[in-house]
Amino acid sequence: MSISISNISKSFARYPALNGVSAEIASGELLALLGPSGSGKTTLLRVIAGLEFPDNGGTVSFGGHDVTSLSAYKRRAGFVFQHYALFAHMNVFENIAFAFRVLPRRKRPTEAAVRERVGTLLEAVQLTEYEKRLPSQLSGGQRQRVAFARALAIEPEVLLLDEPFGALDAKVRKDLRRWLREFHERIKLTTIFVTHDQDEAFEVADRVVLIDKGIIQQSGTPAEVRSNPANDFVRDFLDLPHK
Amino acid sequence: MACASSLHLRRSSLPLRATAESPVAKAVLIGITLVFLGLFLLLPLVVVFQEAFSKGAAAFLHALRDPYTLSAIRLTLLVAAIVVPLNTVFGLAAAWSLTRFRFGGRSFLITLIDLPLWVSPVIGGLIYVLVFGAQGWFGPWLREHDIRIIFAVPGIVLATVFVTFPFVARGLIPLMEAQGIKEEEAALTLGANGWQIFRRVTLPKIKWGLLYGVILCNARAMGEFGAVSVVSGHIRGKTTTMPLQIEILYNEYQFAAAFAVASLLALLAIITLILKTHAEWRAERQLREATR
Amino acid sequence: MTNFQAQKRCRRHALPGLGLTLGFSLLYLGLVVLIPFSALFLKTATGGWLHFWETVTSPRVVASYRVSFGISLVAALVNGVFGVIAAWVLVRYRFPGRRILDAIVDLPFALPTAVAGIALTALYAPNDWIGSWLKPLGIQVAFTRIGIFVALTFIGLPFVVRTVQPVIQDLVAEVEEAAACLGANRWHTFRRVIFPALLPSILTGVTLAYGRAVGEYGSVVFISGNLPFKTEITPLMIITKLEQYDYSGAAAIGFVMLVASFVILIVSNGLQSWNNKRHGIS
Repeated sequence: MSISISNISKSFARYPALNGVSAEIASGELLALLGPSGSGKTTLLRVIAGLEFPDNGGTVSFGGHDVTSLSAYKRRAGFVFQHYALFAHMNVFENIAFAFRVLPRRKRPTEAAVRERVGTLLEAVQLTEYEKRLPSQLSGGQRQRVAFARALAIEPEVLLLDEPFGALDAKVRKDLRRWLREFHERIKLTTIFVTHDQDEAFEVADRVVLIDKGIIQQSGTPAEVRSNPANDFVRDFLDLPHK
Repeated sequence: MACASSLHLRRSSLPLRATAESPVAKAVLIGITLVFLGLFLLLPLVVVFQEAFSKGAAAFLHALRDPYTLSAIRLTLLVAAIVVPLNTVFGLAAAWSLTRFRFGGRSFLITLIDLPLWVSPVIGGLIYVLVFGAQGWFGPWLREHDIRIIFAVPGIVLATVFVTFPFVARGLIPLMEAQGIKEEEAALTLGANGWQIFRRVTLPKIKWGLLYGVILCNARAMGEFGAVSVVSGHIRGKTTTMPLQIEILYNEYQFAAAFAVASLLALLAIITLILKTHAEWRAERQLREATR
Repeated sequence: MTNFQAQKRCRRHALPGLGLTLGFSLLYLGLVVLIPFSALFLKTATGGWLHFWETVTSPRVVASYRVSFGISLVAALVNGVFGVIAAWVLVRYRFPGRRILDAIVDLPFALPTAVAGIALTALYAPNDWIGSWLKPLGIQVAFTRIGIFVALTFIGLPFVVRTVQPVIQDLVAEVEEAAACLGANRWHTFRRVIFPALLPSILTGVTLAYGRAVGEYGSVVFISGNLPFKTEITPLMIITKLEQYDYSGAAAIGFVMLVASFVILIVSNGLQSWNNKRHGIS
């Protein structure tokens, strides 16, 4: 599912978080939104997701259809939050099963079907033995994987990750990066993730979009950006020598 | 000595042993506190029960079985049964709209919700008399249609609603504010509608804060005196709540009987304190877990 | 797609329910608070300036201001002093019964005012309990201003204690240790380090206690004896006017009380933001 955003602006109480941002994301691409804190990258992700709505004039399209006024669920966008936002009072199984439980009655699968689908998802993130645990009983990396599985339960067309590895320590981060890359190779779901860590962006993504002060500074493959930084911000942010 | 962790210690933490007062100073301070709290808080409580039984247990029970007292108890329970659910619904609605969204005028509304705590309860009764009383705005219209609000139960319900509506909202707003909306947003992305989000995600998170507010709302609703005194007309057997009945008995010098009724309310107060402390502790714990 | 159409379809909030919950809340507040209060303001306004002025400055009502506003201040200040001590003791020391004592601090919140009223009266009436001890000393508490003071101290007690307690809890030991290392004895440390840190919360608590005491009715009206010009409180004046069917007089006095409450509210809010700012730093 390709994504197209055009002229997105968003202000919070007169503070302009995004300023006329446009971009195209190809179907099946793994894209990194890279920038310092306060650059607007999370806001942009949330606008794409449907958790925020752009100020007048901007549009978001999925696969050519205008989804600007559609809610997050209707866009079939899976979202993984920065601190996972797992339901603290539900165990792992119920967290992942949530999407099935809230379906309208006629579409709701039977308990056996729910079991089966949740089981498949647990296998995909290698957490089958943990299904009865509460989030508070899991490690950071495990919670992250539950958040993944939960988002995948709705069979999304697009996967959006907000600083997915930010809160984890170095070793776990490396493992999960590799895991994400492999997962993407298998499933080929259009994926956008937000990060402030350039190593992470360059290692994992097909393409990188650099953003600062609500404006896109440069977009291209990791190699392109490294060899041809577009302006001083990109040079400074990536620690590249000035001309 | 590493003290950074002491920044986040909560109520149940150990006292800081950094530097301490001399044992003499400590003893004096503890002594002052015991006398102060004992004199102003414990002693009145003891007095209520002592006076209630001053004529013996039989007289105590007899006082409670008096028909006017029984109808006062019934009325108090009825008023609470109407007021508490109403204010709970309001508290939930207000907390949802004020903590899950940002809009102009929000802080004004939050201040407005605190209003009854600032205003004398007598004013809480006065305003309804001015609207529904004989000389009030709707006075003539109500008289025409033979509807009684002032000097009748609806007036008592209204005045009690006014005095107690902040409690549930105030129990919920700081809690829901601190918990954030990420879980609700996650539920939204997973396809839940508004009601499902509230029932499955929000309600379990807030249940102890909600209970805390409901307990306080109930205690105040059953015990309200000033506002109800203004609107009730003190009609025995019809518009007397328990606090008003206490006043009537007291003014008739039936002290033991007055204290007998008072002891029921004092017992309610003690139960309220116990439940409230427990709910408060659980709510604090839930909040701590959420912000970890 | 024209801009107008885009505007119509553009929703502003992702989470549902704003319309319903805000609408209901505003309706509720409108019916329960705003409409009745506008009746108060209108009644005050339409009663005529002369009647308003006569009512709120009549000697008996003025005497009640002295009682309500004056004694509330004394009670709030006393609570300020002893409340801080109590808060300190409850946070810093361990002794048997501490938990129970801590829970009881909230009693004035939970206990109906009428119950407190008759209990305090029985406690200090000349013939029983404490009143009977004080009688030979020539001190009468019930039916005097001292009795009102006692009742208002009871009512305001939790405000200071509960406002100051969290601040004491969050005091950092290192600061006190540093002071000790620099040679300060305990009293100096308290005066120059601890007390300034607590001051905003103490003032906030005192103001809250004051605001509550000024409007208090149930716990005071039994022990005060209601002697005109001596121990009548302002809320009682409102009730007296209502009993005389002088609605606009009652509204007038109510208006004065509202203005006073409003001023106290503003001061308290100001103090609370000062307290929050300081507290955040400590």
